[in-house]
Amino acid sequence: MWVPFLGLLIGLLIGTVLNIPIPGVLAKYLSIAVLAALDSAFGGIKSIFEEKFNATILLTGFFANTLMAALLAYLGDQLGVDLYLAAVIAFGVRLFQNLAIIRRELLDKMVEKRQLKRRKGDNSE
Amino acid sequence: MRFFKNWQFSLAFVLFLTGIMLMLALHAIHGEADSPTQQKNKRLITMIQQQEEELEQLKKNINEKRESLNKYQKNLSEGKLETEKLQYELDKLLVLSGLYPVQGEGITVHLDDNTKGKELALQKNPEQTRIEDFLIHDKHLLYIVYELRAAGAEAISINNQRIINSTDIRCVGTTIQVNAERLAPPFIIKAIGDPDNLTRVLETERSQYNILKMAGFPVSIEKHSNLVIESYKGSYQFTQAQPKEE
Repeated sequence: MWVPFLGLLIGLLIGTVLNIPIPGVLAKYLSIAVLAALDSAFGGIKSIFEEKFNATILLTGFFANTLMAALLAYLGDQLGVDLYLAAVIAFGVRLFQNLAIIRRELLDKMVEKRQLKRRKGDNSE
Repeated sequence: MRFFKNWQFSLAFVLFLTGIMLMLALHAIHGEADSPTQQKNKRLITMIQQQEEELEQLKKNINEKRESLNKYQKNLSEGKLETEKLQYELDKLLVLSGLYPVQGEGITVHLDDNTKGKELALQKNPEQTRIEDFLIHDKHLLYIVYELRAAGAEAISINNQRIINSTDIRCVGTTIQVNAERLAPPFIIKAIGDPDNLTRVLETERSQYNILKMAGFPVSIEKHSNLVIESYKGSYQFTQAQPKEE
C-alpha cells in the first residue's frame, strides 16, 4: 500500500534536486505531459479499486499518453492551432471521472468496514 | 516481468516518473529565483533596459545638438550679413574720415605764384604794384577746395596734406598753414573723383581756378586714372561732441 506513495515521494524529491534547465519553449510541453501522466496514474489507481488492474495497460498508457500529449501540443504550435486544448480537456475530464470513482470506492470500502465492525460487535455479543 | 506486473511497483514507478516530471515542470515555469541562469537573465534584462534608456537619452541629446547647430548656423549666416554690413560701413567711414590713404581716379591741380606777372608789373609800375596780388592766398586754396567738393571730390590733399573735416587753411605770414603744417608754393592739389566732372567745374567761368588762370597765374590741371592720396597724420579731439543717443 505504501510503496506507490514512496515512489511518488522519491520522484518529487529527485525532481526537486534534479536541476535540469528546461529551455523555455519546452516548458509548456512538459506541463501538458504532466497532465497526461497524472491521468495515467489516476487511471491506474481506479483500476486497482475496480480489481481490473493491468500493469501493461498502465505502463504503455503512461508513456504513450505523455509523449502523445507533448507531441500534440508541439504540432499545435507549429500549425497555429491550440491542439493542446484537446489533451487538456480529454485528460482533465478523465481525471475528474477517475477521481469520482476512486472517491466512491473509498467511501464504499469505509462503509463496508464499518458494517463489518458492527457485525463483529453483534456476533461477539 | 513479474516484478513489473505487481501492481504496487508499477503504480510506484508511474508515480515516480510523474513526480519527477511535475517538479521539473514547476521548476521550468516558476524557476529558481536565485539560480545562476535566472540571475544572469535578470542581469541581461536590466542591462538591456539600461542600454535602451541610454539610447533614448543619446537620441534626445543628438536632437538637441542638431537644433543648436541649426540655430548657430542661422545666426552665423545672419551674423555674416551683419559683419558684411559693418565691414561696408567701416570701409565707407575709413574713406570719409581721411585717416587712411585712398586711391582712385582724379585730378591734380597745380598752382603757383605769378612771379612772371609780378616782375612785369614791378617793371612797369613799381609804386602801384601790390605784391600780394600776385601771390596765391589761403582763400584761393579754400575756394578751390570747396569747388572740388561741390564737384563731388571724395578725397582732397594740398601738398600731401589730407584735407579732413577739421582741416584749417590759413594765411600765416608768407606761408599758408594747412593742418598745422606750413606750406609754400607751388601748390599741388590732389582730388579723387570723376576727373571730367572735377575739371569741368574748375573750368567754369566764375570758378576760382578760372579767375586765377585769367589773372595770369601759372595754373594747370591734370587728369589721372590712379591717384593716391595720403592719410591725415595729425591729431584730432572730440571733447564736446557726443554721439546722439537714439
